[in-house]
Amino acid sequence: MLSRILIANRGEIALRILRACRTLGIEAVVAYSEADRDSLPALLADEAICIGPADAKRSYLSAPALISAALVTGCDAIHPGYGFLSEDDAFADAVRAHGLTFIGPPSSVLERFASKEETRRLLATHGLPTIPGSGLLVDEAQALEEAERIGFPVLVKPSAGGGGKGMRMVRSPRELAAVLPICRSEAKAAFGDDALYLEKWLEENRHVEVQVAVDRFGHGVHLWERDCSVQRRHQKILEEAPSPAMTPAGRRELAERAIKAVVAAGYENVGTLEFLVDGEGNAYFIEINCRIQVEHPVTEMLTGIDLVATQIRIASGEPLGFTQADVAYRGHAIEFRINAEDPEHDFRPGAGTIERFNAPGGPGVRFDSHAYSGYEVPPYYDSLLGKLIVWGPTREVAIARGRAALGELVLEGVVTNAQIHRALLVSEPFLEGRFTTNLLDRIGSAAFLAAADRS
Amino acid sequence: MPEAPNPGDRSPAQREADHASLARLSDTLVPALVQKLSASGLGELEVREGNWRIRIRRPAAGAPAAPAARRAERPRLGPPHAPERAHAPERPHAPERAQAPEREARGRDAAPERGGRADGPDDRRAVATSPAVGEFRAGVTPGSRVRAGDRIGTVDLLGIPQDVVSPVDGTLVEILATSGDAVEYGEPIAAIEADPAPVAPDGADEEG
Repeated sequence: MLSRILIANRGEIALRILRACRTLGIEAVVAYSEADRDSLPALLADEAICIGPADAKRSYLSAPALISAALVTGCDAIHPGYGFLSEDDAFADAVRAHGLTFIGPPSSVLERFASKEETRRLLATHGLPTIPGSGLLVDEAQALEEAERIGFPVLVKPSAGGGGKGMRMVRSPRELAAVLPICRSEAKAAFGDDALYLEKWLEENRHVEVQVAVDRFGHGVHLWERDCSVQRRHQKILEEAPSPAMTPAGRRELAERAIKAVVAAGYENVGTLEFLVDGEGNAYFIEINCRIQVEHPVTEMLTGIDLVATQIRIASGEPLGFTQADVAYRGHAIEFRINAEDPEHDFRPGAGTIERFNAPGGPGVRFDSHAYSGYEVPPYYDSLLGKLIVWGPTREVAIARGRAALGELVLEGVVTNAQIHRALLVSEPFLEGRFTTNLLDRIGSAAFLAAADRS
Repeated sequence: MPEAPNPGDRSPAQREADHASLARLSDTLVPALVQKLSASGLGELEVREGNWRIRIRRPAAGAPAAPAARRAERPRLGPPHAPERAHAPERPHAPERAQAPEREARGRDAAPERGGRADGPDDRRAVATSPAVGEFRAGVTPGSRVRAGDRIGTVDLLGIPQDVVSPVDGTLVEILATSGDAVEYGEPIAAIEADPAPVAPDGADEEG
C-alpha cells in the first residue's frame, strides 16, 4: 500500500482525496498554487506545499512542479484528481519515471484511450454500439464530405478533452465551415490539441454513463449508471442514478456490455463510459473518462463503495477485493453542482469572499465542498464551489430531501447557481424524469427560471 | 515527459539577451525616467518599447505605493510566457516577488524579517523568493553586491536549476534558506538591502 500521496489538484476534489487518504491511513500532502494558499484542503492537510503562481500552467498543469513537490515532500504517489493533468499520459509516464505511482490508469492505458475517435473504434470492436461519426478532420472539404455522409445536424467535437469546449452543433454546410476554425482554436487553447471529429447529432437524447473499476489483474466490475441529462451548453449541472429513463433490464444490459468491453480492451483503474441514449432507448458509446469524475458521489451513495479509495487501492497494485455480486445498489441519489455562476447574467463565473456559509445536513444528505465562511473564491479556476448529494429510498424522497437541503444551503457573498436547482426540482420534465441534454438550452435558462418562479 | 515544457526555460542566448536588456534598462532608462518623473509634476510615467513596458509611479505621500501598483498591474503582464523577472523593470521599486513574505508562510519557516517593513529604512529591504519547488543551492554569500536580475542561488527543479534572482540592486544581507533544503515556490530565499534611490532635489520621497 502507498504511504504518502501528493494531491495534485484543488478545490472540492482535493478535499475529497484528502478524506480518502485519511480513511485509508495514508498521509497526504496538498500541492497548492499561490491563489489557493488559504483553501480548505491546504489548511486541513497534514502538509501543504506551494507549487507555483495562480496561473495553472505554472502550477496545477506543471508536471515538473508537481513531481518535484512530490519528491521533496517524500511522497510515493501523486493523485491528479480530475481535469488538469488527470488524463495526461505523458504526465503519468513522467511520474512513473521518477519512481512515483500515478493514481489512475497506467500511461499506456491513458495513451490507448487518449483519442476519443480511436477509442470509439476500439470499443466498437469489443461490442459497444457507437454513434455514427467521422474520423479526424483533415480540412474543410473533407469535413463537409463527412458531414454529408453522416447527415446534418452534426456535432463538431475535439478529439482531446471534454467539458463542452470546442464543441458546436451545426445544421448546414455553411455553419460547419464557419465553426471549424473556432472549434480548432478553442480545442487548441483548452487541450493543446486541435484535432476535431464529427458526430451525428441526436436531437433528443439522454446522457447516461457507466461507472467501472478494473484492477491490475483484469478483474473488473461495473457500478451501474448515472444519468447526466440535465446540462447547460454541454456542461452537466445535475446528475442522478438510477437513470429515470431506463428500464431495469436496459440498465443491466448497458452496464454489463460496458464492463465487458473495457476489460477486453485492457482498461485499468476507475473510469466512466459515457453513452447517449436516444428516444427509443438505444445507447451509443461516445467516450471514456479515465479518471475520477465530479459526479462520482452519486454512485458512492447508491453502492456504498468509496471510489477514490478504490482508485488508490488499484493503483497500489492491490486486487479489487470485491466482485460484481458485491456491488449492490439501493435507492436513488441526486447530485447538484453548486457553481459560483450568476444565472441572471448568462451563468457568468464569479469570484469573491464567502461572507456566510451553511452546509445542509440531515438523513441522506452529503455536501462535498471546499467552501467556508471567509473563504475568498479565486477567479482563476473553474467555478465549482461544491456538490450537494442527496439520497433517498425512492426518487421522490431524494427530490424532497434535495429541496429541503437546497433551502438550508447558505453561501452569501458570491452568486451561485443554486436557483437553477430549485427551479429543476419544481419543473415537470425533471419531476417526470424526461429531461434531455439540450432541453435547458432550448427553453433558455432565463425562461426556465422565470417559469419556476411562477409555479 | 522528461523535458516537460517550462515557460521559465529559455535558451542561453535568450537569457543573455534578457540580461543585456535588463542591464540597459536599469543602467540608463530607469534612472532617466526617475529623473523625469521627479522633475515633472506627474504622478506616473509609462514607456513602451518592443515587448517591454516600464511604468514608474510616484508614491502617495507617506504611503508605500508598492501594493496598489502591484495589484493594478497584475493582469497586464508583458510578453506571453515571459519569466517573472522580465517584469521587474516595470516597477523597479516593487518587484512582484517581494510580496510573498508579506503573507503568512505556512508549513515552513516563516520569513524572519517579517514585519516592520512598511516604513522606515526597512523599505529598502527586499526579498528574493524561490522561483520553483525543489532543492535550494546557495550561490552568493552575504555581504556581496548584487544587481537586479543577478542570480543569487538556484532551485533544482527535477535536475534543471532555476535561478533565484535579486529583485533589486543592493547588498545581500542574509540567506534565509538552507543550502540543500527543499523550498517551495515563493519561499523567501535571501534578504537584500536595496541601494538608496537617488534623492530628488526637492527632497521629496526617496522614491521620487
